[in-house]
Amino acid sequence: MKEIQQYTEDQRDCLQEIVNVAMGQAGDSLARLLEVFVTLSVPKIKTLRPNEVRDALQSFVDAEFVSAIRQSFHDSQGQKGLRGEALVVFGDSSFRELAELLAYDDEELSEVLEQELLLDIANVLNGACLNGIAEQLEEELIYSPPSILGQRVPVEKLFQHDQMKWEMALSVEINYKLENRSFNSDLLLLLPDTAIDYLARKLDEFLE
Amino acid sequence: MTIPLLICDDSNMARKQVTKSLPDNWDVDITYATNGVEGLEAIREGKGEMVFLDLTMPEMDGYEVLQHIKKEGHKSVIIVISADIQPEARERVVGDGALDFIKKPINKAKLEEVLRKYGLL
Repeated sequence: MKEIQQYTEDQRDCLQEIVNVAMGQAGDSLARLLEVFVTLSVPKIKTLRPNEVRDALQSFVDAEFVSAIRQSFHDSQGQKGLRGEALVVFGDSSFRELAELLAYDDEELSEVLEQELLLDIANVLNGACLNGIAEQLEEELIYSPPSILGQRVPVEKLFQHDQMKWEMALSVEINYKLENRSFNSDLLLLLPDTAIDYLARKLDEFLE
Repeated sequence: MTIPLLICDDSNMARKQVTKSLPDNWDVDITYATNGVEGLEAIREGKGEMVFLDLTMPEMDGYEVLQHIKKEGHKSVIIVISADIQPEARERVVGDGALDFIKKPINKAKLEEVLRKYGLL
């Protein structure tokens, strides 16, 4: 098992830049969909234990209530290859703005409509970002259908850490903000320990 | 004449990719900066007659660097090389004084095309 601290300087830097390029592609997709300017910041990469995920989520989603979508992905090598979970988390105020930007007019936002919005935006962010990473690493990813982890719930209600079947995960945190709006969304990629090792080898190939 | 060239990007790999993409036998004296603050410092010291500038960086991002360059009146020729590929990002940096914008990842052909376009080669 490898922690990010054990990645070489080159591997860390390489991953950071690959994520940076993928984030840019996802940001562009979001900007085109919503016709707004998306403000990007430097992605944060670190290792987390299952019991640290909740605090990590809490610290980067600056909202009391959040909604989240979860989608797992893997390559053709199954357990041994590149695989993980992508979580897209939205702050509470994001719905109203999304509805407005996507011209849902004054329709009362029903729970179903909100779910639709969540899934649509998560699809755009996940798809563009993960494909961007996979493409650079010459991997092909297979995605599970996205599912709603929680809707307008406190962060601690999102999931229990005993649901996570790994001891250590690599977390990649990407924040998307819309200029002059309070919309705030985070994409958290969690790669389990076996995938951390695999990724290290892929990064070495990339660096050659 | 040797051109003082500044490559400003927080990623070591990105700096290397830019360096590898430079035209062969191009007479430049390269300075590296790992964030906007360092980059601006180098420009003030005259090390950035030509600047390859990233946008998303810690400390000070590329947009801010462009603002400072404009305010301080430096005559640097700036080409932004960024992963922020929103069309508006391009419009903004060109509006803020950058000559052009190249999407990451960079390669030799892309860079040469832009340099030739402006007669910089």
